[in-house]
Amino acid sequence: MFKYILKRLVMSVFILLGVSMIIYFLIRLMPVDFIQDKINAINQGGATVSEETVNAMYEMYGLGDNSFLGILKGYFSWLSALARFDLGTSFVYGIPVADVIFEHMGVSFAIALIATIFEFLIAIPLGITAATHQYSFRDYLVTVLVMIGISLPSFFFGQMLKDIFALKLGWFPASGLVDATASYTGLSLLGDYIRHMFLPILTIVILSIGPRMRMTRTNMLEVMNSDYIRTARAKGLKESVVINKHAFRNTLIPLVTSLAGLLPSLFSGAIITEQVFDLPGIGNIALDAMNRGDIPFIMGYNMFLALLSVIGVLLADLMYGIVDPRVKLE
Amino acid sequence: MSENINNEALDEALQNEVPHDKTVRLMSPTRMVVRRFFRSKLSVVGLVMVIGLFIFSFLGPVFYTQWGEIELDESGKTEYSVSSTTYEVNGQEYTVRQTTEKYLKDNFLAPPSAEHILGTDNEGYDVFVRLMYGGRISLIVSFIAVFLITILGVILGGIAGYFGGAIDNAIMRLCDVLICLPGIPILLIISTILDASGIDAKYRIYLLMIYLTFISWPGTARLVRGQILSLREQEYMVAAEAMGFSTSRKIFKHLVPNVMPQLIVQMSLSLGSMILYEATLSYLNLGVKAPYAAWGTMINIISTNQDVLQNHLNVWVPAGICIVIAVLGFNFIGDGLRDALDPKARR
Repeated sequence: MFKYILKRLVMSVFILLGVSMIIYFLIRLMPVDFIQDKINAINQGGATVSEETVNAMYEMYGLGDNSFLGILKGYFSWLSALARFDLGTSFVYGIPVADVIFEHMGVSFAIALIATIFEFLIAIPLGITAATHQYSFRDYLVTVLVMIGISLPSFFFGQMLKDIFALKLGWFPASGLVDATASYTGLSLLGDYIRHMFLPILTIVILSIGPRMRMTRTNMLEVMNSDYIRTARAKGLKESVVINKHAFRNTLIPLVTSLAGLLPSLFSGAIITEQVFDLPGIGNIALDAMNRGDIPFIMGYNMFLALLSVIGVLLADLMYGIVDPRVKLE
Repeated sequence: MSENINNEALDEALQNEVPHDKTVRLMSPTRMVVRRFFRSKLSVVGLVMVIGLFIFSFLGPVFYTQWGEIELDESGKTEYSVSSTTYEVNGQEYTVRQTTEKYLKDNFLAPPSAEHILGTDNEGYDVFVRLMYGGRISLIVSFIAVFLITILGVILGGIAGYFGGAIDNAIMRLCDVLICLPGIPILLIISTILDASGIDAKYRIYLLMIYLTFISWPGTARLVRGQILSLREQEYMVAAEAMGFSTSRKIFKHLVPNVMPQLIVQMSLSLGSMILYEATLSYLNLGVKAPYAAWGTMINIISTNQDVLQNHLNVWVPAGICIVIAVLGFNFIGDGLRDALDPKARR
């Protein structure tokens, strides 16, 4: 087991190296005068990118030398800075990239975590009813509804919710995380947060119930056809006991594994939803920075995302071995 | 396993065979799949939705030629604005009302009428016609992307699965790396590169989707590889080996046809997700850019214009509905195919 984890960790490092190489070379494909234009645009926009920061970036990325060797040298100097946990300074925000990421990660994580909890709470019972009433009207209804959820584009659905519930009915605030005009404290501040986060969370939940519900349904169907369920029924157990005690427990294996794989991605931020509701989450911040050509941030944010997905895959595999003793990790 | 799909010889043999009992009807596996597919109402609904959208976007502009994709309605419109100011002179209040009549060249944000079935957007383009042209782009682009992803995935996954060893290792590690690349952020970078290189607005979405295929093939490759790894151990492969068939014959006549069922399902499901991807890119103003139309581009306006979002639903809601219909249609078809091709389901 220990050896397996060690092997996977070493492999993960190589995967991350590969990812960083691809992202770095993509960024180097941008023409340098184009980068200069973007910096000028940021300067005109009010924020100032100091000469020092730009020089530091040129140094760090070895820009200006666009020969193959120059790019290679630039990559290694970026890599050695990374080894010292230095991702450079963001142009747009003027502080280290890592600080920007950590500052805005919390909001994204809170929203994603609450959304995930609701997704599972809603999707699992739906999946079970659909499976136990296979091919019935109920099954079709649930399937069609979650399929519509999967098919909705997040920007369209989010804007629609915003239009109806925030702008027309005025039940919820349309954007932001806190009411800037009022100064709440304690419980009322929490209430304000909930009011602001309700619509984004609703958007995410409706869009992502589908895959989990279908996963539960498929697994449940598989389990319901197995011999020990027939045995349980033959013993004369009540149907509710068969379903809840014998069948459901065994459908948990893939669900728990998928949850483990999901955990890191909760930090990555929902770019579109955060943009629609103008939340100060990492996704929205990243979109803005990327549109404005903030190269150190683009590099740092993409590496952050890659790191999260590597951890996710690793956790899912390890969890698979822990939850299901039949699986041997080698 | 529906091993003999595409196997015409066997089909023929089955058709010529005389049933032992007159009440038993022999059916080829392909016919059984087709029958099972059409028995499910959802897959028929999906098929109707997709075919409907195809007719709408490809034949629509041929018959409805009142407006073009980038043809502005220049019939003009007059905008009135009233402003009033109150003065106080010697304790007396005077109110001055001023009406400004502004004549504008383009007839933008017109309500739905006989002339514009769904009205005009904020620039003065006809929304209904742009829906059709937008559909063309979305459908073509997603088909190209899925086609390329499948080809790349089958070739690389097939090579990895069949030859194994070092080649397999190299290809699979490449897959690991590519799967960890964050999708939309990477496309943001590529889009910036395309911007900088000054590519024509009409073609950038095609280029972008081609780049997308380069990072999206690992899913298909893994599927194909997994299938081939398990198929390699089958008895008929041992038989093929014993018969001394060539490698290409073994791969293309024996292995690939057996991967087809899973591949077809995967393709129809990824068509839906590609349409969503394209729409999202266009919404972020990375894909199809004005003045050309795409469903996502038509919704893009509401992210900056609150007035359109609240008061001119006819501009953006139809595009969203089209996206939902397309994605839902492909998902229904994919689901129906999965059930129809599943050898365990005998219903």
